[in-house]
Amino acid sequence: MRAPLLACLAIVPGVAAAAQSTAVLYGSVTDTLGQPLRGVVRVVGTGAMAAADSRGRYRLSVPTGRVIVRVGHIGFAYRVDTVTIAAGDSLERDYRLVSAPVELQPTIVTAAKHSQLLDESATSVAVMNDTDLARRAVLTVDEAVNRAPGVLFLNGQVNIRGSSGFVEGLGSRVLLLVDGVPANQGDRGGIDWDMVPLAEVERVEVVKGAGSSLYGSAAFGGVVNLITHDTPVGWHGRLRATGGAYANPPSEAWRFRDRTGGLGGLDVTGSYGTETLRGSLTLGGRHSDGYREQDRSDQWETAGRAEWLPRPGTRITGSGAWTSHQYEVFPTWCVPGACSDTRGQAFQPFMIDTSGRGSYTRSNKGYLAATLDRAVSGAFAWRARGSWLRSHFTDYNPDNWSVSDRLGAELTGVLHVAGEDDRVVTVGVEGAHTDITSDIFGDSGRVGSHTQIDVGPYAEAEQRVGRVRLTAGLRLDDIVVDGARKATVLSPRIGAAIRSGGGTWRASAGRGFRAPTLAERYVTTRAFGFEVIPNPDLDPETAWSFELGNGAPIASWGRLEAALFWTEARRLLEPTFVLDGGVQKIQIRNISRARLRGLDASLAVSSLVPGLTSSIAYLLVDARDLTTDAVLSFRPRHVLTLGTDYQWRMLSVGAEFRYTSRIERIELEPVFGRDPRVPARVLDLRAGWQRGPLSARLLVTNALNYIYNLVPRTLEPVRTVSVVLTWTY
Amino acid sequence: MAGCTIFPAQTGVKLTLPGHAAMIAPMRSRVACAALCAAALACNAGLQPTTGCSGICGTVTYQGSLPDSLQDSTAAVFIVAFATFPQSPSDLLLFEAVAFVDTGGPPRRYVLEVPNGTYEWVLAVWEKKSHIGLSAQNADSLLREVGFYRNPADATPQGTGRVHVTDAGADSINFAIDFTNMHRICDYFPPCPP
Repeated sequence: MRAPLLACLAIVPGVAAAAQSTAVLYGSVTDTLGQPLRGVVRVVGTGAMAAADSRGRYRLSVPTGRVIVRVGHIGFAYRVDTVTIAAGDSLERDYRLVSAPVELQPTIVTAAKHSQLLDESATSVAVMNDTDLARRAVLTVDEAVNRAPGVLFLNGQVNIRGSSGFVEGLGSRVLLLVDGVPANQGDRGGIDWDMVPLAEVERVEVVKGAGSSLYGSAAFGGVVNLITHDTPVGWHGRLRATGGAYANPPSEAWRFRDRTGGLGGLDVTGSYGTETLRGSLTLGGRHSDGYREQDRSDQWETAGRAEWLPRPGTRITGSGAWTSHQYEVFPTWCVPGACSDTRGQAFQPFMIDTSGRGSYTRSNKGYLAATLDRAVSGAFAWRARGSWLRSHFTDYNPDNWSVSDRLGAELTGVLHVAGEDDRVVTVGVEGAHTDITSDIFGDSGRVGSHTQIDVGPYAEAEQRVGRVRLTAGLRLDDIVVDGARKATVLSPRIGAAIRSGGGTWRASAGRGFRAPTLAERYVTTRAFGFEVIPNPDLDPETAWSFELGNGAPIASWGRLEAALFWTEARRLLEPTFVLDGGVQKIQIRNISRARLRGLDASLAVSSLVPGLTSSIAYLLVDARDLTTDAVLSFRPRHVLTLGTDYQWRMLSVGAEFRYTSRIERIELEPVFGRDPRVPARVLDLRAGWQRGPLSARLLVTNALNYIYNLVPRTLEPVRTVSVVLTWTY
Repeated sequence: MAGCTIFPAQTGVKLTLPGHAAMIAPMRSRVACAALCAAALACNAGLQPTTGCSGICGTVTYQGSLPDSLQDSTAAVFIVAFATFPQSPSDLLLFEAVAFVDTGGPPRRYVLEVPNGTYEWVLAVWEKKSHIGLSAQNADSLLREVGFYRNPADATPQGTGRVHVTDAGADSINFAIDFTNMHRICDYFPPCPP
């Protein structure tokens, strides 16, 4: 019964508590060092549960009489407590949890569109909870997702097991969700990682491999789901201030300014909640001078959430975020002849090519979403949601602009047959209407509009047979774009999770696809001196993705996750040179076949020394372009991540190192092929202090000021020292 | 869109150790620390400043300024290299690499990122603004040769501009851009239309 209960709770947390508020249990959840934990406190046998806040405090309405309370947190052993409480009483109970991370595995919600234990998933999922995010002192969502096992960012473009490569800013082969709501841009299909403030994010789930059987287009190589905080009961607030500085170039020959660049930010979050009504609001702003020439940025962001729990089993949620980001653009670094630097360097990575001088972008984006969750019974729950996603950018030099609106809706039902977890059926339908108006994606270089309609019914069934959990699902997507032919894509998936003495084995095969974005179909511009012409009749790119993996505890001190993966991709969209009327032009076409296979492994270990944890993750990608029988561009073969953290009382220190092998092949070799490329070796250091409501964290990224690039003529960040001060009420 | 480049512009579950793993814990910690230290020591490389040449490099000087009459109609001035001297106007589109330069000012260094090999013609081209794309048919009206490289060691009347590019590049391919001496395509592929 545990899993069905978890499933319902994940969908309608707090609902049961609202119904049985006859006594109150309150107190704190901490680790053995007294540090607060956002633990989950549940009353066994009922739906009552509460999540502790950032100070470890919880408050829970419980049935009267004798109840059994179970307290848990990822990375810690369960604590079970028997409590007797009379009607109208309130009782304080403080729980100290002991580290035993292999005992409690995370509950995930992304892999199957309903709550399940990590070991029940047939596909690999990486989870980063709020403890991970706080320890790493990251400031933005992309920093949080980066460094996850199997994930690599290339100049802002997310790769899961080498899925995307670097597609020059158009399209993403990874789908971003915010609480399950698709959030890829309506026009370009890319991801605005700055759309949701990191302060709003409680957990990140990264589902690896094709996920189109549930999520449709863009889930070609995987899905990233940002799960935002639930609003706790009572008044809560948080104030966070950030300040920092960028290192100067390590060589005087690359010096480009007479001062040290800085960065800073301030955000404030306030929330209030009762048993039935809850709301939160976050406001923030950030400024950065940038680490290179023409790299300043200013950002203002806000996010809010409101919840209404009108009766047991029903929750209505409204959420949204809006970000306004103005930033200078550094198109490419300069080489002699196109550089205001006259010191004779073969390349100057800190200064821009003069043709890009003055490039600037104003980017506004946001979303609104409304969700109705209803648990009809312990066996059946359904969810309906509607969403509006808007992005609007205006570029200066070159001048162009685009506005896109994506209206989305989804209805999902989850049935636990006979109220048990042995058989689960998920059925739903998702639709979206995307409208863009643009001068670059419009009508052959003039302002124009285009519309895309996507409809995708889907179903997935899970059946437990002994120790084997089988999964089979299917989704049918119809995509209609004005001025282009209709596309219909069938995306099946089958999988199995098998529990054995050697851990849990996973095997899956599924199809992924990505429909061409409106930008890819209709872009009209000039690039690298060539005219870029539209191609409305592009077909979706597709892939079959296979995985065989194992997740297993190692004795009592570690956990190993390893998976072999194999993806066969067809009709990949790529910009290519074409002859049009005797003139060489660039056009996006369905060109390539590719094969990506490899190993994605991670090992998390602990030691006898309390508070010391270490991890190692390794990704091997063998990526071949089968069309040209060459290495697939922008896929480093090896990515190795080592991390270790130590916590002593109020203090913590940590380090993380990532090695990314030299990218063997890039696109546009005739233009950039002779540029120097090196492996990336980046060391991050961190330290933290926390006492009561105050905390301070120091983060030094790229501590050795290693100078490198991953995509042509684009310098990756230099050493950056930042301090984050947080006060939590 | 400038933010997007093309056109224009942890680990699983965290683990902490229960008591009975005492014997191996310190060793693991030492291994982890050693690995991190080794990793840190390996980070002293990366991109370095270099004044070397990659491809065809040199300096262009300006003789004469761009006529006022051409200021508004100038789309670009750039340097290109041809592996084989063009045999027809349509061959003019088969150039290797482009380096854009200014329309005047002090001498400027350029780099043409071309593959290793021999190049018969390295020249500067002035391009006129146009709403239609460049083609062999309109090349004569849109392009002007405004200077090319000539090997100073070759004293023959015709001279030669042959450049050999090796892994070390071909540096000092210096020449002048002269806007007062612009040549039409038809000067190379006569006759010139009236």
